[in-house]
Formats: sequence, C-alpha cells, structure tokens
Amino acid sequence: MIATIVAKRIRSLGPALLVGVAGLTLWELVVRVFRIREFLLPTPSSIRSELVDNWSMMRHAVWETGRIAVSGLLFGIFAGVVLALVTTRFRSLNEGLTPLAVAVNATPIVALAPIFNAWFGITGTLSNQAVVTAVVFFPVFINSAKGLTEVHPDEIELMRSYAASDWTIMREVRIPNALPFFANALRLVAPLSVIAAIIAEYFGGPQDRIGNVITSNAGLARYDVAWAAIAVASALGLALFAGALIVERVSMPWRLGVGGGDSNNNPGRET
Amino acid sequence: MSTAIGGTTREHAVCIDSVDMAFNVGNDDEVQALSSIDLQIEQGEFVSLIGPSGCGKSTMLRLIGDLLTPTSGSVSVFGKPAHDARVDQDYGMVFQHPGLFDWRRVRANIELPLELHDWSKADRTDRSAEMLQLVKLDGFGEYYPRQLSGGMKQRVSIARALSFSPRLLLMDEPFGALDEMTREHMQGELLRIWKETGTTVVFVTHSIPESAFLSNRVVVLSARPGEVNSVIDVNLGERTPDTREDPKFFQTTTEIREALRAVEGAV
Ligand SMILES: Nc1ncnc2c1ncn2[C@@H]1O[C@H](COP(=O)(O)OP(=O)(O)OP(=O)(O)O)[C@@H](O)[C@H]1O
Ligand SMILES: [Mg+2]
Repeated sequence: MIATIVAKRIRSLGPALLVGVAGLTLWELVVRVFRIREFLLPTPSSIRSELVDNWSMMRHAVWETGRIAVSGLLFGIFAGVVLALVTTRFRSLNEGLTPLAVAVNATPIVALAPIFNAWFGITGTLSNQAVVTAVVFFPVFINSAKGLTEVHPDEIELMRSYAASDWTIMREVRIPNALPFFANALRLVAPLSVIAAIIAEYFGGPQDRIGNVITSNAGLARYDVAWAAIAVASALGLALFAGALIVERVSMPWRLGVGGGDSNNNPGRET
Repeated sequence: MSTAIGGTTREHAVCIDSVDMAFNVGNDDEVQALSSIDLQIEQGEFVSLIGPSGCGKSTMLRLIGDLLTPTSGSVSVFGKPAHDARVDQDYGMVFQHPGLFDWRRVRANIELPLELHDWSKADRTDRSAEMLQLVKLDGFGEYYPRQLSGGMKQRVSIARALSFSPRLLLMDEPFGALDEMTREHMQGELLRIWKETGTTVVFVTHSIPESAFLSNRVVVLSARPGEVNSVIDVNLGERTPDTREDPKFFQTTTEIREALRAVEGAV
C-alpha cells in the first residue's frame, strides 16, 4: 500500500522533474550557443558554482530571511484568523471590516516597506517582519472570514434543531467549514511571505539577508551570485509552499481521495 | 384541548393552532406557504403529511421544530411553545437533505447529538454501533460521508435522528432516496421503533402506499397556499408484510389517492 503510494507520487512528480531538467539544459545551451553576456543571463552551471563557493554566506542569508518570513507569516496568520473569528462572532463588525479589508488587500502593501523602516527602525528585523505580516494578514483574514460565514444553511438548521449555542456552531460547523478556505489562503501566503520579505529587504537594512545579497551583488555586476541568491530564495518559497500543502493534508483527512482516509479499514458489504 | 386543569389528560404531542406562514412578507417575492392550518397530533400517533410538491410540507415540519416562526397562529409541542420543546430537545429531525458533516466520519456524525447532550464516550460508541446496525451500515462507521451513496447518507441521517430516542420524530421524506427493498426494510424498522418507544412521528412523504402502511392518520395538503384538505384515518391494525396485500390496504391507498387527485386537480 505504502509502496504504491510512493510509486504514484514519484510518477506524478516525473513529468515536472523532466520539464525542469529539460528547461535547465535548454537554458545552458541557449546561453552558450548565442554567447549571451554574463550580466544578462549567466548559465545554470555558473550559478551553481557560485552557490557552492558562497554557500556559507547563502546559508546565513536564507536563515535570516527565512526567520523574518516565517515569523511574519505565523504572526499574520494568527492575526488574520483571530480577527476572522471575532468578526464572524459579531456580524455587524464583519459587515464593516470585510469590505475595508478587501480594499486594503488590493493596495500594494510592500510599498509601505520604506515607511515601516522609518517606524520600526532599519537595523532590526521588526520592520521587515511587519511588512510580511501585513501582506499575509489580509488574504488569511478575508478567506477565513468567508469560510466561517459561508456555511450551508441546512447545517446551521440542524444545529439549531439541537438547540446548539453559537459557540458550539462555531466549533462544530464554522471552523471545519472554514478549513479549506484557510488552506487556500495558506497556499497563497506561504510563498508570498518570502516575496514580501525580500522586497522589503531591497529597501535597505542589514546586508546579510537574501534581498540585500541580491541587490548588492547585482550592484557590483556579480550577476551570477545574485542569481544564486535568487535560486536560494525560490527554494525557500517552495519549502514554505510544501509546508502549506502538508498542513492542508494533515488538517483535512476527509478531503483525501475516496478510500485514502481509511486504507486500513475493511468495510462490510452493503446489504 | 390540551392539558386539563388537573393535569390528568395528556397534552397533545403537537398542536398547530390557526397557523399562517408566509415568506418574504412585504416583498415582491412574498409566498404564502401555509394558510389557516389546524392540526392536533396525539402522543404516540404516527401522522403522515402528503401533498403536491411545494405545498408546504417541509415548512410545516420546520414550524413544529421551531426552525421557522409562524406569521400568525401558534405551535405547541408537548404542551409547551415549540421553542421550549426545541431547547428541551424533545424532537429529532430527519431533513429532506441528509446534511451530514463532511469532516466527521459516519460514526461521529451519528454521535453528534449525543456529544451535544454530554453522553459518555462509551455510551456514545455503544449507541452509534447499535444505530449503524439498525440502518444496515455496520462496517461503514469509519467512512467519511463523501464515500457513501445518497441513500446511505440518508440512512446515516436517520440513525443520527434516532440516536437520542427523542419523544417526537419529524421526518421529511426520509426514505425518498432508497431502493424499494431497503425502503420496506426501513419502514418496518421505523414501525418497530415507534411501537417499542411510544414516540410520536410526523412523517412527510410523496408515496401513497408508504403513508398508508405507516400511519394512523394521513393529512392531505392542498397546494399554494397549503391547507389541510382532508385527514384520512387508517385502520389497518398490526402491520405485517402481508398488510401490503390486504384489500383494506388497497382501499386506504385508493382513498388517499382520490383525496390527492382532488387537490392536484384544483391546482
Ligand atoms: N426559506 C424560504 N424562503 C422563501 N420561500 C420559501 C422558503 N422555504 C419554502 N418556501 C416556499 O414555501 C413553499 C413551500 O415549500 P416547502 O419546502 O415547504 O414545500 P414542500 O411541500 O416540502 O415541497 P417538496 O415536496 O417539493 O419538498 C414553496 O412555494 C417554497 O417556494
Ligand atoms: Mg419538502
């Protein structure tokens, strides 16, 4: 059973891997054949060697940026979920806040980074964490609030027939109903947190973070190093995205394919 | 009509007193769903509601269950306002739509009302196993609802309503999605439970033989606005599989059919 699942996973990853390898090879060939200048586009192989040569610097940078992205992400998720719960509980608050949140969400929050630098100081991590939190907060809030309120009326009616309290309805119906909405938001904001952190770093601050490694090396015309840093950043984004998928799987076993949730269960025949 | 001064007479299980029900009052889409309904249901009675689609059968069940409030008139259940009966958990309801929670396994869905009533874990497990057997779903307890067919889901929702042995059962076309054999089996089981527990049943159906086989009385509703057209007493005695072939059974179904034909013709 496990073996077939693993085999299926690998088979489903196969095409993606193939396309990836083919893409990198093509890239390498195009750059070499057309003699594209280094500062326009370095070859994957030179990016790889810069990555290896600068590994300790890269590792430190990804750790610094990763810490900012993850802490901002967690705080933004927490704030978004808490506010969604509160606004669902008090309908009038919801009606006032949700349109506002949708409007704010449509504005480019990362553009606030220089202002946050002025507010929270440019040397610490707080300013960039605040940017990440602000970027993460709105999608989480909007989606969670939607999931908490868009419950099938039949389900509320059933709970009312049990004379269930609002709190019980929240716990037994609204929260489980909101999980898929929340998971969608999580898939969106997990990689977004890395993007937000890096863009925030473009506006200055300590030089040992991914965003600054990219800008400073690009400034010195060391484009292959900048590209190596970008590769590291995308790996970080991917890792967080994978984390979001795992959370989704674990929190919603009932959404797995038919039979997947209880492969160890041997049902009787229906009579 | 209901409780005598000394409290010696039993109150009615359900007493619907000149009830009108309209939706979206004052808007363009106002619907008069029910009009001047008067109906008393004795404790221990089995009453079926039958009538054309959209005539207000589900609405009537919701009024009894205090899930809707009548535009005028009053509904009392076991001598109290319907609201108090709901809070006291006097009834269990099987909705027209199974309404299972996707995130709960079948067993946990059946145990939901028991959890809300603070039953112990052991008692819950015992009862849900018993209920699964009753609706012939043993072995499916650990499934998720989306892994079941429509008829199986409906049986889970029946098991859920029966699980806490309510004094009053409100059932909205509970067997509509079942095949003929399962349907007859479930009818037999429902009658057995009804007899054993002395519970009162209000049962909505589209099936004439089903209403005749199950009920003490069949209430025929007319359409738009729903009104009680006629109430047919059914006297078939003890129900057995042979009842369905009894000439008296035939007579009853004919009577119901004619009443229905009269209201359908009037539409
Ligand atoms: N929530 C609602 N809002 C507005 N109108 C409603 C609502 N519920 C029911 N109605 C209307 O009330 C009337 C009766 O509906 P109801 O669901 O009680 O019919 P029914 O007899 O159960 O029909 P069926 O046999 O098809 O289930 C219909 O005309 C319907 O449009
Ligand atoms: Mg109905």
